[in-house]
Amino acid sequence: MLQKNEPMHRHLRLTAVGRRYGVRGPWVLRGVDLAIVPGTLTRIEGANGTGKSTLLRLLARLDAPTEGRITGRPRTAYVPERFPSALPFTAAGYLTRLGTVHGLSRASAARAAGVWLERFGAAGYAGTPMARLSKGGSQKVAVAQALLADPELLVLDEAWTGLDAAARAELERAVAERTAAGGAVVFVDHDPRRLAGAPDATYIVVDGGLERRTAVDAPAAGACAVVVARGPAGARLPAEAARLAVSAEETAHGGHRLTVPAARSDVLLRTLLTARPPWHVVSVAPAPPSIPETRP
Amino acid sequence: MTALLRYHAELLLRSQRWLPPAILYAAFLAVGVQGGQPVLDSLGYTAAGLLPVAAWLVRICVTGEPPAARACAAAPRGPARAHLACLLTALLAAALLGTAATVVLTLISDPASNGDRVPVPRPAAGAAGLSAVLVCALLGAAVGALTHWPLLRGAGRAVPAMLLGALLATVVAGSPARAAVSGLVTGSQSGRVPVPLLPLAGAALLTAAAFAVACALTARRTP
Repeated sequence: MLQKNEPMHRHLRLTAVGRRYGVRGPWVLRGVDLAIVPGTLTRIEGANGTGKSTLLRLLARLDAPTEGRITGRPRTAYVPERFPSALPFTAAGYLTRLGTVHGLSRASAARAAGVWLERFGAAGYAGTPMARLSKGGSQKVAVAQALLADPELLVLDEAWTGLDAAARAELERAVAERTAAGGAVVFVDHDPRRLAGAPDATYIVVDGGLERRTAVDAPAAGACAVVVARGPAGARLPAEAARLAVSAEETAHGGHRLTVPAARSDVLLRTLLTARPPWHVVSVAPAPPSIPETRP
Repeated sequence: MTALLRYHAELLLRSQRWLPPAILYAAFLAVGVQGGQPVLDSLGYTAAGLLPVAAWLVRICVTGEPPAARACAAAPRGPARAHLACLLTALLAAALLGTAATVVLTLISDPASNGDRVPVPRPAAGAAGLSAVLVCALLGAAVGALTHWPLLRGAGRAVPAMLLGALLATVVAGSPARAAVSGLVTGSQSGRVPVPLLPLAGAALLTAAAFAVACALTARRTP
């Protein structure tokens, strides 16, 4: 999957990485090999206290490995497990400042802050001091902070916890947009249905080591959508659309039937409609539970 | 880096936690020096008092940001740079406070040596006072950097270590702060304005080393 035109700093690679806290502390992680490729979604699983958060901190380059090597430094944004609101700023003020730390100009940071607060349904608390935000409100700010500047690597440590249903769905859409735009996303979430079917790779932390889960994720019923689209005469399905779909089959008259995880359906439609030349979307429907979910 | 500095400066200003050290420093000066006293003597007192204030400002900057917020701000540019911005903010705040005090005291003090024997020009005295203040701000920030996260955690160990460090940095023979302050005090006796360039260079080196150690450890310690 390594593409030649990708700058190497965007490829994050952990080689035989181990981490322990303190000189004689027990090893939290050991012998971890992991590559994070641009444009992919990676899920990390594991029981409580197995070192998932430590692995995410290593990926975000917030922690240095005690042994082993990490190469690559993509522009990273991180959403912590619990976000405190004890900061002397308003929600919009904090986001604007963090936007400039992420490399935006002040004006575009303020604009992005407004857009993301709006998307998470938090535009109403833009002027509210952080200390007065609810748990869910401050989690929305924590998530918006990470999405402000289109990071090359997005690290989400249980970012969905505390969000309301609409904001949870919006975050799933934002993750799909990020990977479609070529960013890498790594996430931990205790809900097994979170982004079901969407991850390109799933790993489990067991006994301080990392194992790749080989079984294909079977998305929960109703988690997929079926998009029927027709392209211009003789056109092939855009590569981006083929990558987003979990299955694609040709129907009669040059039509394509694409099955896509619900979280990615918006991004798939956008890809089809903005392709050159644009595709015609014939229908969009929730996938019936009987559709076999096999990856190409 | 500019964005990180601005973020930390605003965090410090808006938290209002800078008020107690600033007020305590003002009270220390109000008690210790008065208008019409020999200028170099007063400036020595001003510089010596700034050292613990600078260490305290580092404490405020480092502990003012909750760990999760620190992780968010550190992700784009790395934790070492984020911590450097935090330490530099405290150093700049201390230097600003010291500069303001030096300017005021240079203007209201008596431009002469002890006992009014030798005249001391105000601009030269002010320049000597400024570099002494800078020496103390630098060393105080170094003490603060070495006695807080990521080296020491928890107020129980950090505060006594910081106070002891500030005391030692002021009195130990060979300390640039002691050299700069005693240069001003003896200058006030003789009427010769000292040029504390050597202490300034020493303090800059020590502080750079202390900041480098603190920043290098940010990714290695428990958050």
